[in-house]
Amino acid sequence: MQPPGNIKSAFKTSLRILLCAFLLVGCELGPSRKITVRFWNGFTGPDGRTMLKIVKRFNRENPDIRVLMQRMDWGTYYNKLFVAGIGNRAPEVFIIHAGNIERFMQANFIRTIDDLVAGENGMDTRDFSENIWNAVEKNGRHYGLPLDVHIIGMYYNRALFRKAGIVDEKGEPKPPETREEFLKALSKLTKDVNGDGQNDTWGFVLTWYWTNLYSLMCQWEGKFFTPDNDKCLLNSPENVEALQFCVDLIRKYKYSPPPENFDSWIGFRQGKVGIAFEGIYMLADLERQKDLDFAGAPMPVLGKVPAAWADSHILCLKTGLEDKKLDAAWRFMKYLSDNSLDWAEGGQVPVRSSLRNTERFRNMKIQWEFAKQIPYIRYVPRVPFIFEYGQEFNVGVEKALRGTLSPKQALDEAAENVNKIIERRNKMIEENLKRRP
Amino acid sequence: MKYKSTLFRYSGYVFLLPYMALFCAFLVVPLCYGLVLSFFDWEMISPFPPKFIGLGNYGEALTSPYFWKALWATIRFVIMIVPSVVLGALLIALLINNVPQKQESFFRAAYFFPTIISISVAGILWRWFYNTEFGLFNSYLQNLGIRVHWLSEMKWAMKSIVLMTLWWTIGGAMVVLLAGLKQIPDQYYEAAAIDGANAIHRFFYITLPLLRPVLLFVIVMSIIGSFQVFGQTFMITRGGPELSTRVLVQYIYETAFSNYRMGYGAAMSWLLFLVIAVFSLIQFRLIKER
Repeated sequence: MQPPGNIKSAFKTSLRILLCAFLLVGCELGPSRKITVRFWNGFTGPDGRTMLKIVKRFNRENPDIRVLMQRMDWGTYYNKLFVAGIGNRAPEVFIIHAGNIERFMQANFIRTIDDLVAGENGMDTRDFSENIWNAVEKNGRHYGLPLDVHIIGMYYNRALFRKAGIVDEKGEPKPPETREEFLKALSKLTKDVNGDGQNDTWGFVLTWYWTNLYSLMCQWEGKFFTPDNDKCLLNSPENVEALQFCVDLIRKYKYSPPPENFDSWIGFRQGKVGIAFEGIYMLADLERQKDLDFAGAPMPVLGKVPAAWADSHILCLKTGLEDKKLDAAWRFMKYLSDNSLDWAEGGQVPVRSSLRNTERFRNMKIQWEFAKQIPYIRYVPRVPFIFEYGQEFNVGVEKALRGTLSPKQALDEAAENVNKIIERRNKMIEENLKRRP
Repeated sequence: MKYKSTLFRYSGYVFLLPYMALFCAFLVVPLCYGLVLSFFDWEMISPFPPKFIGLGNYGEALTSPYFWKALWATIRFVIMIVPSVVLGALLIALLINNVPQKQESFFRAAYFFPTIISISVAGILWRWFYNTEFGLFNSYLQNLGIRVHWLSEMKWAMKSIVLMTLWWTIGGAMVVLLAGLKQIPDQYYEAAAIDGANAIHRFFYITLPLLRPVLLFVIVMSIIGSFQVFGQTFMITRGGPELSTRVLVQYIYETAFSNYRMGYGAAMSWLLFLVIAVFSLIQFRLIKER
């Protein structure tokens, strides 16, 4: 049996909680009548904390607007965003990657921003590098504001470089720039220290195939699609050659560990690998590893021309916003762009050259090095079936690197599968157009 | 006794109503909607409306190598996991049934514990266990000079998923079997002991026949659940390496929610449903036989 006193106090407590809840709701609906801007993104790592700080500052400086930021994992982010968009419940402002923009254009979820950019609270588009501004363009209209450009680059282990004697005249570690220098460095870095027949340090590892192989294929001047996106050219001889080069690093030269038994990025973090290509966004991850002496440099030219994969986080606006919301959302987007050096601090490169040409950015050493590649960065092909294409690409490369298929066979298979997807889609489009008067 | 008032007679349905409403809204309606959808070609984000194509989606699935690959991965998983779970759970249930009452609840709780952990937590946990460089398992195996590439080698990846699932689900099956064991009256064992039956005889001639309905129930549920495997592979390997652990539900998920091909995804779901239904029917026949 419970003493009646307990029930009474429990009742009182619940009343108090209820009262507090009402008060809180009252505060929310207070007389200020703030305009709420919902902002969705996938920054669940340390980048999310950086972004939250900027958002909080914006909310302080703009008392009439309240930005609510929601972060979710990139892995399921787009699914949620699409479902919200279809139900017309999309947030006012959201981030998408440049590579995905085609699908959102197709679905008519994003508002073009050309009028806002040219408006009274606009911005000078000449400040953007042309190739970056073009990444959000279709038929002369721009579908979002690029916030950053995250470029792949070369991370290298300075301690291993010193030990292997890969240094310049001053004795400082010297990152390779050409294929010869690269292979020479790898041969010096790959070592079996304790003589057990197994390498203890490796010259190089491939990390994310999607970015690594894409960059190299671009360096070999490979093509991926015909200009009208009607046929997949993934198995073009240049791409096969680039993939063969990577297979050779593993199987022939043995400078790189076989992918089936090596955790590539962790291996680099642990100091077992001399060189790895990864995006600038991995910087925060490396900086946490206090005992790792590393530096960054542009990717060496292993093929015929310099090229490096890049993608951008694009700030997008929902279609059909009323004027007040639109104004608030645009002010927020512009604020993020104006303050993108704060964002860059956490491992990003700002897209605006006026921000890059500052002392502050120059002091972000690795960002500065990676940003040197901006003139020749390459975005992934803009096709509406980007996910399916990506999967075929990754599986094809994986099969070649693991030795299941030869590079030619693997890319032939992948290209064939992608062509089937294209055929299916073309058929669908054709039939639908036929049905219309 | 006869109920006079009709109101009283039908009052049971009123109590049933809240659940039935939810059951219909979230299960029956989507199920039927999915069946209708499976006859349409519909890409959710395309500007075109759904188009009726009859059995076209089913035809595509049955001729798609990816569908068969995913189905084969699922079947491989089922073949490995179901016997391990059932035999393992039976063994643990028998052992726990023989410990003193006071310790029994402790062991029961201990074995049941992993089952209450959500799959996302368990998945992340085991991904760390399996890490080649500094995972728990390899740090123990290192002492023996062995290094296993749990998740990146094709011959290990699915087995690793099975091992994790075993840990995760064995408790649930064990609790049911233990309850079944408790139902068997002690007199049978006493009588058998007097007749001179040893432990093996008792197990095969008393325990097993009397446990049969419960055992079959556990097997059926385990098979149905295993065909629907998704969380483990999605969390731990994402279907890799080379799509060797991409099970059917993951393929359906990707088709519907990454490629937005709703009709095709729905058709494959119904094919999976048919596979499960066939297996279940066979087993229910077996249960009814006696």
